[in-house]
Amino acid sequence: MTVLEGGKISGRQFMAVLIVLRIVPVTLVFSLISNINHVQDVWIAVIIGAVITIPFAVLVTKLSLRFPGKTIIEYSQILLGPVVGRLLGLVILWCFLCTSIDITRVLGEGYVIAIMPETPILAFMVMLAFMSSYAARSGLEVTCRLGEDVFYILVFVLLLTYVLPYNAMRFENLRPVLAWGVSNLVPPVISDLGFYSQFLMIGMLVPYLNRPEDATKYAIYAVLIGSGLMALAAVVLVAVFGPTANSWTLPLYSLSRMISLGEFFERIEVAVMAAWTLSTGIKLALFLWAASIAIAQLFNLRAFEHLVYPLGAVIVASGLFFFNSMVDLEDFLAKAGAVSSILVAGVTLTLLYAALGIRTLIRRRKGGSG
Amino acid sequence: MRVRRYMSISVLLAIVPVVLSMTGCWSRKEIEDIGFVLSIGVDHAAEEGEIMITVHIAKPFAISTGVAGAVDEKPFWQVSSTGHTVFEAWRNLRQQSPRRPLLHHSRFIVFGEEFARGGIREAIDFFSREGEVRETNTVVVAKGVKASEVVWNEFELERMPAEGALGIMKIAVQELSTAVMVTLNDFLQILEVEGHEAVASRAELVRRPSFEDPRGELKRETISVSGRETGAAAFKGDKLVGWLDKTQTRGLQWVKGKVRGGIIVIEQLETEDKLASIEILRASSAVIPKIVDGRPFVLIKVGALGNLGETQEYFDPMESQEIWISMERRMAEMIKHEIQAALDIAKYEFNSDIFGFGAEIYRKYPKEWMKLKDRWDEEFRKLDVEIEVETSLRRSGLTRRSIQVVRKEED
Repeated sequence: MTVLEGGKISGRQFMAVLIVLRIVPVTLVFSLISNINHVQDVWIAVIIGAVITIPFAVLVTKLSLRFPGKTIIEYSQILLGPVVGRLLGLVILWCFLCTSIDITRVLGEGYVIAIMPETPILAFMVMLAFMSSYAARSGLEVTCRLGEDVFYILVFVLLLTYVLPYNAMRFENLRPVLAWGVSNLVPPVISDLGFYSQFLMIGMLVPYLNRPEDATKYAIYAVLIGSGLMALAAVVLVAVFGPTANSWTLPLYSLSRMISLGEFFERIEVAVMAAWTLSTGIKLALFLWAASIAIAQLFNLRAFEHLVYPLGAVIVASGLFFFNSMVDLEDFLAKAGAVSSILVAGVTLTLLYAALGIRTLIRRRKGGSG
Repeated sequence: MRVRRYMSISVLLAIVPVVLSMTGCWSRKEIEDIGFVLSIGVDHAAEEGEIMITVHIAKPFAISTGVAGAVDEKPFWQVSSTGHTVFEAWRNLRQQSPRRPLLHHSRFIVFGEEFARGGIREAIDFFSREGEVRETNTVVVAKGVKASEVVWNEFELERMPAEGALGIMKIAVQELSTAVMVTLNDFLQILEVEGHEAVASRAELVRRPSFEDPRGELKRETISVSGRETGAAAFKGDKLVGWLDKTQTRGLQWVKGKVRGGIIVIEQLETEDKLASIEILRASSAVIPKIVDGRPFVLIKVGALGNLGETQEYFDPMESQEIWISMERRMAEMIKHEIQAALDIAKYEFNSDIFGFGAEIYRKYPKEWMKLKDRWDEEFRKLDVEIEVETSLRRSGLTRRSIQVVRKEED
């Protein structure tokens, strides 16, 4: 069988794309802050999310390291047999597609809500999907190299939007800490974990690392940096907007509108939006690539490149038809979407580890009796 | 091969957002078709249940000054329109404006007194939901008049009403501390913060005496009605409850730690009715809530630095250290007096916690606050407040002692 994907990526690129993967919906809709009643504790929810995610990321990575050169789609067929393994692969593929659909629609909505209300949303979605498909088609190596550059831009712009509205910040908004109990934190933690479930992508990336042994380290870094950036966003948003922070549709966009330095350095939100677009493009490219590879591996195809453009078209169309409105989309991201992706990630991991355990047990017994 | 592909994708990725942000497609707005709104006022319309908005729009062709052929006319236009909601009224404005009015550059959101007393809830949602309005707009209430009259107050030295009002307000905030500038973001936030009532800027009309210059004709008529932007408007919930004057506003700003400048006039010596001016340099404050036996109690600590700016009677600080110290003491008393003035009006007249004492209690004692919350109005009225002011006079300007008038006429 010919090699589907011949590219190799470095550990740092791996980390960068994982962070972009987590930060992308946050730059537009920040579900954590939209789903909390008393916003001042949202940074604690981010930390709790990170604490739960680190073991998850480590488990996914360790599993992939046991099957060098094989993606999660391939080794689930080895572990669970061709039928169950393929079914699981299809569910993972469905998750990849769902995520692509969400983010394409979210970016389109972001543009229509914030910048160009009269423009049909299709224009933005098509442009994004075209851009990302073009990148995904060139393979993982190109996407990840771009991803690293975009990551630096993203972090730079994020830090800029965190620091520059300093004259509107009031840190007393962050108190009282935990006055509303832990139950206040449950919805944001669930939505955080929902997005972190997308770290199943690690299973697609590890086989292409040039030094796979570093994968665990970089996966943990990705969770830490991603959560750090989100915790900062949470703190800054609450400091600037106080209790009204959960009223915004696009919190970080509204934050960038608060920037006003000496009455000349202001109205930079369009530049900020450009950075969000780039990072969304990278995330979509990565998911399109992963979905195409998954399809190719599930159905034993010889190349994945031809799948990318059709998938892009499918994603744009589904993005238009899946959600009636922005409210519908936000509701999905906060509730059904989050819970279902946690379920998929949890079930996938449990099944695979159970199968691995049984396999090693059988092998040991055979070895012992033989 | 891969490198070239990488390059071409980078270029594509870079170009697409740039092209998108140039708004070349559907949402294009040409500068010739736009009217920039600089402030927007909200009032009740003459028709029952309708809202009237008044905007002041810049006239670009009349702005340029001193250039040959410049149009000698008002560089702005004020126009009103009505509707059942703010948004409808705003959209109805298009029936009168040949250019599409845009709110991106607006500076002020003004509410008429009558409208504000009835509650502004029904008007504010538009301003946070509409993407054209910036959260950095200043919220103003017009005292005694409709917002429509204040929106186009003219000022000398600035051709645009909004720029003039902004200039005056900024100076009053920075160098007098007798005005507040509350952004839309702050205002909306405080409506949601527990135990904190909002204030907004106060604007009113003043008649300027007209000077008949006997020496020649005036080239441009002096402005007969102008605006005054000092003081503050106090709210309770979303309803206007009253006005703070200059002293009370500075009292409020002392508590908030927002005093940035100003003059404090004190008696120079206890025995004589001569005065001295102290220039405020910096100030800081801390509001410390305490709960003693279930009863709330608030300690306000204010620190202020000042310079001696002027004395009416001969004064030499080198004569005795005590005079200097007693000046500091009298400065502290004046500050206390200003704070007390603000406290009294907020407690007994408005019964509105514009200082946010309740919010401080909520932040420090969230559990106790839950019990206090529902009867905070009475508790606030009864609240014991202790004011501690620490002042320090730093310098005495370019002179050390004052100029002494030697009595010569009695020889």
